Amino acid sequence: MPESKSDQPDISKEVSLIERLRDKATCRDAFNEVIRLYSEPLYWQIRRMVDNHDDANDLLQNTFLKAWTSIQQFRGAARLSTWLHKIAINESITFLNNKRKRANLSLDDEQSMIINAIEADTYVDGDELKLHLRKAIAALPEKQRLVFNMRYYDEMKYEKISEILGTSVGALKASYHFAVKKIEDYFNALD
Amino acid sequence: MNSQDILSKINHKSGMTVPDNYFADFAQSMSSQLPVQDWEREDSAVVMPQSFWHKIRPYAYMAAMFLGIWCMMKTFDLMRGDSVISVDKNPQLISAVNNDAFFNDYCTPAMSETDIFDELYDEGFDPSSLDSL
Repeated sequence: MPESKSDQPDISKEVSLIERLRDKATCRDAFNEVIRLYSEPLYWQIRRMVDNHDDANDLLQNTFLKAWTSIQQFRGAARLSTWLHKIAINESITFLNNKRKRANLSLDDEQSMIINAIEADTYVDGDELKLHLRKAIAALPEKQRLVFNMRYYDEMKYEKISEILGTSVGALKASYHFAVKKIEDYFNALD
Repeated sequence: MNSQDILSKINHKSGMTVPDNYFADFAQSMSSQLPVQDWEREDSAVVMPQSFWHKIRPYAYMAAMFLGIWCMMKTFDLMRGDSVISVDKNPQLISAVNNDAFFNDYCTPAMSETDIFDELYDEGFDPSSLDSL
């Protein structure tokens, strides 16, 4: 099943979901709807970070479990999608850090670790250019990788990325610009 | 080929795929994995009817608040220098003071002789006037 862009629920739907999540009687049903609505965007968010389906599947489960166990602490100050994306990103970064530590690798070696994951990934469509882009993204620093994935693949607005990552829009634009330049350098080196 | 050409050619697709029906299956299995939380157990227990105290509690708190404010204002009023208790406006006090038996039993023993003499002296009482008695 190929990657597809799933639309995030609009704000009015989120507001009604949050209301139901706050009511103990309807909370579980509402959370099941949260799973149905957000599985796909969160999965791709995680998958592009860890570059492996099985790891992404485990991390997606952890993300929803964490959200479910702390649902009473969610006050609705931030958007539900923002809160879930934050949990997913934290889970992914923690996973990559632990994996790197287990393999006794430095931060600089993370690139080779991700490239190994990309090459071992069996759920791909086989397009060489897309594979090269994934490897070029793997060479980016963690924050640039996140920004590039959210902006290019998810086509998220900078304002939304800013809410999730807690970084200014200006810094995000600069980060995306540098990421694109590095990707260009990667492809130039291939020629 | 520049980066914009490459990115537009790739068209926002990463080339990653997932197993068939992955998201539908995931949602189903994830929902069944959600643990029962403590607050859910509390809810599933018999819902206790609201007690009488729970019903009147807000009104009781409000009444206590107004009583507290009243006491506070009364205290401040008594602390004011110009709030001298006037005997003229208190008929019970006037009758008590005019009642010799009450005065002798309850007021006089509480006064020392020195205080009485001091008071009489301040009022210009002449002790020699007693000699004629």
